[in-house]
Amino acid sequence: MAENEVSEQLEKKVADAPPPDPIAERSFSLPLVISALLLVVVMVWSMYDEVIGQRPWKAYQKDFVAKYTSYLEKVQAKQGKSERELKASAEYQELEQKYQDEEAKAKPRVAEINARIQKIDVQLADITPQFQDTRAWIAAKTFNLENTPEASRPSLRNAIANKKQEQNNVKIHRDAGQTETKSMNFTELERMYNSLRDEKALLSSEVVEITKPQTEAKKKLDAYTQDNLTGLTTQQIGQLIDKTSKFEFKIKQIHVAEGNLVDRCESCHLGIREPLTITKANMKGEAAFVSHPDKELMTIHDPERFGCSTCHGGNGRATVSVEKGHGRYEHWLWPMYYKENVQAGCNQCHNRDRVTQGATVLNEGKNLFNIRGCTGCHRYEGYDRETDTLSSSRQQVKQLEMEKKEYQLAVEDLKQDRGEDRARRLVPNGANLEINQLLAYVSQTVSTIDARIDELDRQAKYLMQDQKKVGPNLKEIKAKLRKEWIPGWLKDPQAFRPGTKMPSFRLEDDEIEAISAFIWQDALDVRVQTQAQGDAEHGKQLFKTLGCLACHSIKGEAIGMGEGVIGGHFAANLSRLGEKANYDYIVRWVYNPRRRLVPYSPSLKRDITAEDYKKKGLPFNFDEEHSKSPVDGREMQIHNMTVMPNFRLSDSDARDVATFLIAQKKQEPKYPSATFMDDKGLAEKGAKLVKTYGCAGCHEIRGLEDEQRIGTELTPEGSKPIERLDFALLTEPAKKGEDPVTGEEMDSANGRENWYDHKGFFENKLKNPGIYDKGKEKPPEERLKMPNIYLEAQDITALTTFLLGSVESSLPASMRYNPTGQKKNVQDGWWVIQKYNCMGCHNVLVGQDSTLMSVAMYQDADGKEQLPPRLTSEGARVDPTWLMRFLKDPSLSSTNSPADNKDPSVIKAALPGVIAHLTGQASTAAMAAKPAAGTKSATPAPSMMAAKPPTPTSPMMATAAALDPSSLLGTQMGANRNGVRSYLKTRMPTFNFSPNELQALVNFFMGASAQQMPYIPERLDPLTNDEQVIARSIFTSQAAPCLKCHMTGDPAHDAKATAPNFLLARERLKPAWTQRWVVGPELISPGTSMPSGLFERDKEHERWIIKGVNSPNIQVYDKDHANLLVRYMFQITPDEQKRLMASGSSGAAATPAPAAGGAKPGGATKTSAANSSRKGGRLSAMSGGR
Amino acid sequence: MDWHQLWTIATLPDNIPIVAMLFLIPFFSWLGFRQAIANDRLIAQLEADPKLAKTHHRKTWPWQPNWTKELHVWPYLLRIEFLATLIVTIILYVWSITLNAPLEEPSNPNLTMNPSKAPWYFLGLQEMLVYFDPWIAGVVMPTLILIGLMVFPYVDANPLGSGYYTWKQRKIAIGAFLVGFATWVLLIIIGTFMRGPGWVWFWPGQTWDHNTVLYEVNRDLPDLVGITSQPWKGIFGAVVVGLFFALAGFVTHKLIMRKEFDKKILERTTLLQYLIFQFFAITVLWALPIKLLARQLFRIKYVMVTPWFNI
Repeated sequence: MAENEVSEQLEKKVADAPPPDPIAERSFSLPLVISALLLVVVMVWSMYDEVIGQRPWKAYQKDFVAKYTSYLEKVQAKQGKSERELKASAEYQELEQKYQDEEAKAKPRVAEINARIQKIDVQLADITPQFQDTRAWIAAKTFNLENTPEASRPSLRNAIANKKQEQNNVKIHRDAGQTETKSMNFTELERMYNSLRDEKALLSSEVVEITKPQTEAKKKLDAYTQDNLTGLTTQQIGQLIDKTSKFEFKIKQIHVAEGNLVDRCESCHLGIREPLTITKANMKGEAAFVSHPDKELMTIHDPERFGCSTCHGGNGRATVSVEKGHGRYEHWLWPMYYKENVQAGCNQCHNRDRVTQGATVLNEGKNLFNIRGCTGCHRYEGYDRETDTLSSSRQQVKQLEMEKKEYQLAVEDLKQDRGEDRARRLVPNGANLEINQLLAYVSQTVSTIDARIDELDRQAKYLMQDQKKVGPNLKEIKAKLRKEWIPGWLKDPQAFRPGTKMPSFRLEDDEIEAISAFIWQDALDVRVQTQAQGDAEHGKQLFKTLGCLACHSIKGEAIGMGEGVIGGHFAANLSRLGEKANYDYIVRWVYNPRRRLVPYSPSLKRDITAEDYKKKGLPFNFDEEHSKSPVDGREMQIHNMTVMPNFRLSDSDARDVATFLIAQKKQEPKYPSATFMDDKGLAEKGAKLVKTYGCAGCHEIRGLEDEQRIGTELTPEGSKPIERLDFALLTEPAKKGEDPVTGEEMDSANGRENWYDHKGFFENKLKNPGIYDKGKEKPPEERLKMPNIYLEAQDITALTTFLLGSVESSLPASMRYNPTGQKKNVQDGWWVIQKYNCMGCHNVLVGQDSTLMSVAMYQDADGKEQLPPRLTSEGARVDPTWLMRFLKDPSLSSTNSPADNKDPSVIKAALPGVIAHLTGQASTAAMAAKPAAGTKSATPAPSMMAAKPPTPTSPMMATAAALDPSSLLGTQMGANRNGVRSYLKTRMPTFNFSPNELQALVNFFMGASAQQMPYIPERLDPLTNDEQVIARSIFTSQAAPCLKCHMTGDPAHDAKATAPNFLLARERLKPAWTQRWVVGPELISPGTSMPSGLFERDKEHERWIIKGVNSPNIQVYDKDHANLLVRYMFQITPDEQKRLMASGSSGAAATPAPAAGGAKPGGATKTSAANSSRKGGRLSAMSGGR
Repeated sequence: MDWHQLWTIATLPDNIPIVAMLFLIPFFSWLGFRQAIANDRLIAQLEADPKLAKTHHRKTWPWQPNWTKELHVWPYLLRIEFLATLIVTIILYVWSITLNAPLEEPSNPNLTMNPSKAPWYFLGLQEMLVYFDPWIAGVVMPTLILIGLMVFPYVDANPLGSGYYTWKQRKIAIGAFLVGFATWVLLIIIGTFMRGPGWVWFWPGQTWDHNTVLYEVNRDLPDLVGITSQPWKGIFGAVVVGLFFALAGFVTHKLIMRKEFDKKILERTTLLQYLIFQFFAITVLWALPIKLLARQLFRIKYVMVTPWFNI
């Protein structure tokens, strides 16, 4: 220790046993040995950790190889047996025999050619070295030559020429086997080389040609095995076993450079992409080795291109542990989705889809988000886009108006000589312009701005037409509701109407009183025309059959359909409507739900009343043609913002339905009096509350039309950092893994019950939206406002899935779903389809069932006939122009097809509408007339109606006079008419789509059926006289009695008809599709009542022939019968149809064709009778099968 | 008591060194002092024994007869160093196998973590920010500390106590260093265990609740005595700071003058050396803990408030 020069002086011996030197004398052996040993141990440990500890996937791989091999062997043995059985079958034998025959046939020549090729190869090998050597030398010299100055070129040219002439001795094998030495120069060598190679190529292609039948046979044989053997062949399994035995132990990695993605998931999940379907049981209980459950999905989303963690979440790079790999730890922001939420992964790329095929849970989540009115409070990109677009376009208009004002002032200044400064300032380069130039420029700008405002206004009209709110219009509640019913409803909507969309806001009693008072006093003081009672029984029938059940549900007892709630959940359950609503309003609503009582002007921010119209001397009339405000000439909201369509009921039918609905009560309503609702002070308080709770998100409320959404935007909710999700006082317990509500330890072993993650937050919030107020001291107005929404467990899962998937994706645009063309049209169209619940009535997708299909009355054969048509191939079927027209007006009443005139029932139904149209101005004015002043009772007395109904003026009116006053309900275009299928009791209602939505829908159907847009109709050859005769005879033959089922316009006939009128075909259908349809309808629409097998294939002439029609001129006709029929159908005229009907009713014998007239009548009748009985049997079999 | 959270903090891979220091510093201090006391006892023996105390050298060096006068680096020093190397290697091996690098999620510029803490070795500096203005806590103080450490050998006039453990012969130096070091470690410990979300003070075992709301008002010393306007605040502060310097200097001097031995050392010290020592002792060793206490006990924000800087 003491190393200092002075220490030497310290030499002094102490006599009595001095202590030894603590450093020099001490042995360090033991600590050194121990440390060294420890170090060795630690190094061994580190090696172990490096090779095994940090690489747990190795154990998985070893395990997989063992389990998979044993499974494959088992499968192979089983498969071997079934393969042997297959090989013993006659078909296989036959195919194999054929293969062997072909092989034998080709064999001699193939052998010959092969022998020749062998010889050519030998000879080629003989000359190739010498030839190539020389050629290379020449090529190199030529290159030199090309890069040499002209002066020295000749010598090089000489050298090359000499080389070409140089004789080489080449040893060549002769045919017989001996060799000969030949002296050849380069040119000769080249010639021989080329000719040998040409010959070889020729021979090789000949082999291919000769063995073609053989290869074909082999292909057939393999295809047969493939088709008849479930799973893989033994040979393929053998290959798999072989592959597994050569298994390479390493990290299996997918690298997608484009997305900066590295996924090593398959290091453990080794079975994912195996061609076999591997279950957990197959792998002796190891779930990690199963194959991907959706192989089809994997073909669309190839893992090599998309990886795994893009969809599933998780940390694809991690290989050290399961938790790390699955990303289930604090620092991985995208943990793997749990099984029930797995479709959240789809939304990252498919966020613009309203419907993503196959992602049912996600779609349901999106659906719920929309129909439950989440969009009322929460902005979400794509949802309720009309409202967003409208507000931005209104903003633009406001700016433009300001600009315009400025320019107008400038014009005034110029005109009145008040100076030109303003104009010069406004005009670019204005300082240098003449006064009249300035004036021209400025006034032109004014008109340009006007034009732009007009354009925006027109778009606004369409947008307003499409803008919907989830809840009803509260401006009209004075006409609609019982006043006393409101407070009870606000308190607990769920108690009155289980499953309703109206959530419960956890209101205090005084808040309820204030809100009811406000909305009651805020509502417009309007009453509707008193209506006579209708026939409830008829109303019930209409309600059952029109298609109301596609959206609305009702107690089964009410419509005689047994226990339980029946119908769709898209719209309200109407079981207790009678307890809340006013009959007269419901009549009007059922008659035309889109028609508002009073229009609203967004530019003036107020409702435009009859007064306003009167001031301008205009009749109080507003509809699509009269949609501009009388005050400022700008577009008004003339529609109720409901998706409920117009069923084009006649007024008496509307009354019947309303009478039926109003009778729907659970008990006679007895409500406590609600005089407080007239308290002005309360209403003021209520106004504040209504704003606080964001009622205007779902309801139209006077004065709150421009309210903003009160909730947080949810578009990127899933990627919000967890710290931004406010767990409030529950944060700490939730983080600790306790249930913050019960204080119990959560079952965090499987991680499912986590509170402190996105899933936990969303689920608990949806289950109980006020939960994060727990333990907080807050005054009521500061509490969480999100109301209780009463969701089922699966609804919560669906919404959670949707929210989890609502992320800001870091993937490049190229990897995300950004379709163009037809797919884009489909993507856009779904928004409209879902918005109006088209799938309530129709099958839009293959495999998707409509709501109506599950209703009991559509289960039996007759019921199925009554189902609305499938739309799965609509785009291929119909002409887009026609479709657009049809969707705009499904009654097609504007099309004057002759069939209309023939159908008295249509005329009868349509006429009242026409009369109403004529008297519409008076009636609408009356309808919205103010009630007598001061009366504020909840149920308007008939005496309140100021206007008297107009006296019926026509006899037609007089017949309807029993249901007086009918015309007050306004115009009903195309009443009681189905445009295409009037035989259906369900009715395609009028949705009042705006041009934007019409286009979107047409594009959707065309896109979904992969139809080219624009559609250019195929030109059909006109029929010759002969063809006309033949077609006619086919049409009326008993083998294909078209007019038996298809409508003709004759009401007696149409009552039994089950298919559309042929007269529509030309405009409606596409010929190509029609031909496919007549030949095989079952293929296009399984279960259709249109009979299949009317035609048979004439393979020789590549054409279709009608079956069972024996008329001689048909047999002579040598063209395609199906095509003929289609051409006939597309050119049929009403007269022609009349003729057909006449002949059809007088029997096949009286066919107008002279040739048919000459046929043996007896025989014809006989066959036709036999045919018709057969036909009848088939028809019923068909409908039974549907 | 929230033991769960305390455990979480203590076991964070980030905090392993500071948790280890909690035990290692007392242990090594004890070890050093044990050796120092043994040596002091030897020195006392040497001094008491006239036979042995013949030379100046014998008085001051811990030495026993029979001890080797000189030891070679090889093997005597190197074998110890080698052993130490082995042990450190083993510790590093075990550490690296058992604990992975505490990597977190990619940084999110839109989201500041709360509490947002520096690595453990900078936590003392970060904690100092509570007591001083950023440029004083972040620039001036660290500079002074570093310079103070560098200056140590040059202000040391003590010829004894070099090369062996001793307490008696180096009381001032060892004491000063230990005070500084302990303050530093204390600051780190406070930063690690006591500072939760919002840099709010939580006692160990208290839940670090993000929603914590505190009522705490920190005032300037001049405000406390009723001086609220400039330049009086600055002048008053300067006076207080001056008084503090005088008082702290006086106390330091008293401490030095307590023992005969130290007095003798002081006689060997030049005035410049003495003043430099006093300056660093006051600004670093005294000012920091006193400001800390003033802040934590009396909620005093600044002592001296000027338009340019605050202390």
